[in-house]
Amino acid sequence: MRKRISWIKNREPFYYIIPTLVYFAIFLFFPIVFSLALGFYEFHGYSQNIFTKFVGLENFKYVFTDTYFHIALRNTFYFVIGSIVIQLFAALFLAVVIFYGDFKYSTAIRTIIFFPAVLAPVTVSLVWRKLLQSEGLINQILRIDFAWLSNIKIAIFVLIFVSIWQWFGYNLVIFFAGLQSLDGEVIEAAEVDGASWAGKITRVVIPMLVPYIVISVILNLIGSFRIFDIVYVMTKGGPIHYTEVLTTLLFFYAFNPQGLSNMGYASVIAMVLMLVMVLFGVIRLRLITRK
Amino acid sequence: MMIKKQPGVYIFTRVVVFVTLAVILIPVLWIVSVSFRTSETSLQSIFFLIPIKATVMNYVEAVKFSIEKMNISFLVMFRNSFIVTGISIVIALALASTAAFSFSNFKFPTKEVLFTMIIAAFIIPPQVLLIPMFILLKYFGVLNTYWAVIFPYAAFAVPIATLILRGFFEQIPIELKESARIDGASNFMIFLRIVLPLSKAAIATTIIFLFLEIWNEFMYALVFLVDDSILTIPVALAKLAFGRYWIPLTIYTASIMITIIPVVILYVIFQKWFIKGITMGAIKG
Repeated sequence: MRKRISWIKNREPFYYIIPTLVYFAIFLFFPIVFSLALGFYEFHGYSQNIFTKFVGLENFKYVFTDTYFHIALRNTFYFVIGSIVIQLFAALFLAVVIFYGDFKYSTAIRTIIFFPAVLAPVTVSLVWRKLLQSEGLINQILRIDFAWLSNIKIAIFVLIFVSIWQWFGYNLVIFFAGLQSLDGEVIEAAEVDGASWAGKITRVVIPMLVPYIVISVILNLIGSFRIFDIVYVMTKGGPIHYTEVLTTLLFFYAFNPQGLSNMGYASVIAMVLMLVMVLFGVIRLRLITRK
Repeated sequence: MMIKKQPGVYIFTRVVVFVTLAVILIPVLWIVSVSFRTSETSLQSIFFLIPIKATVMNYVEAVKFSIEKMNISFLVMFRNSFIVTGISIVIALALASTAAFSFSNFKFPTKEVLFTMIIAAFIIPPQVLLIPMFILLKYFGVLNTYWAVIFPYAAFAVPIATLILRGFFEQIPIELKESARIDGASNFMIFLRIVLPLSKAAIATTIIFLFLEIWNEFMYALVFLVDDSILTIPVALAKLAFGRYWIPLTIYTASIMITIIPVVILYVIFQKWFIKGITMGAIKG
């Protein structure tokens, strides 16, 4: 009872939050709801009145038969799982190596490896595009002539590699910060018990790093669903839509003249993206809290 | 720190790090190298990285190229990115700091619920909102202006900024606020005169974090900015590369270098800030 009365009396805290909430209502919450409604219509982005053509569940039905959608869905999964797993193992491994390896220039090394994360994904994509072209550096070094980005089966994995390349340093730094925060005493206690260094690392250090592992996984999860720039700039979703991810497919259907220019359908894809993302997030959280 | 005394392990660690550094550095160095090569020798080199014939002219050509073929100079690109990023950050900070202050200073019902709502927005992929945002901004009549991207950028920046700032604000000793209150200061004054000045580090960290995200953003800028004259750097660069006109590799790389160099300089000077800022941002989340 007392709480209620003082709440009504003191509205001051809310004054500080209302601007943000209003801003969000306009630019975040409303668009989300709007997006859901849009899925029921068919319309061109540049038409005057959006709600002219109500198509009910047709857009939703089309999603199930659209091969491009299935490709995009599959590729998105590849990206998400690939990013999370590879970044986790590779960056953690390297962080341990650098941290325990007694490197004189450890800071410089980390600074260098971190650098690509500071660049625009567009820039990174433009660079790798040229590296991977037929006369590019990669083929020069390997002395072969392989069309990396035109190969239907391989291209998507090449893109995933570029994404991992860019964000590797980011994950590395997170794990390194984790290692730095560890309590030396616990590790020394293990040393006294006579554990080998490999055992020490796997059985003592890594479990203590779990919070950081969680951070890395969550960040990679959120980040990999957002991949757009890399795919768009390097392959535009090609060849023949074989490297599309949900985000680029959405873009294609909404804005590309060769696409359907049906923003209603694109909205459905957006909703699917959101749904998948939430599902994945929930599954992950369940897994983590169980551990 | 354990030191690996066995020679096998020692070599192993060195090799691993060396390979990693090579994989990270070689692409970057290649771009630098090509940007200095003459167009005839653009694909030839010694040990892949050292040019056979070097020239600085590519940079001049790149500047000319962008003005002639694209109607936009690098200076204008930078100006656009600057304006958009600056204003977005100001708006985001204003919203986030006040909200964070509220969460850190008061106790009130629905507090955590509201906080979760604000943070949850962080999980939303911006692409999901692309279409409704497009229609909304068209309705407001701001498409093809700076505001078309500023509004969404600020919106997406607030959640993480609020999170970081709340964390810092909560660490400010209550005694400081209490003594100010005894002296008759209102909460707003406490906010302005005590909390904000003490949080300069956190605010700087947040600014760096947001700056990178917004400066490098591509998709929204691509869709919402149409006129060549207001394009931000990522979009302008992409349009240069894929424009109506074929662009020679040397000019391509020189253009990329022009956009990268300021970032590199800032990075070298402020390394620690960058890395700390981004890690802090990540960890607080």
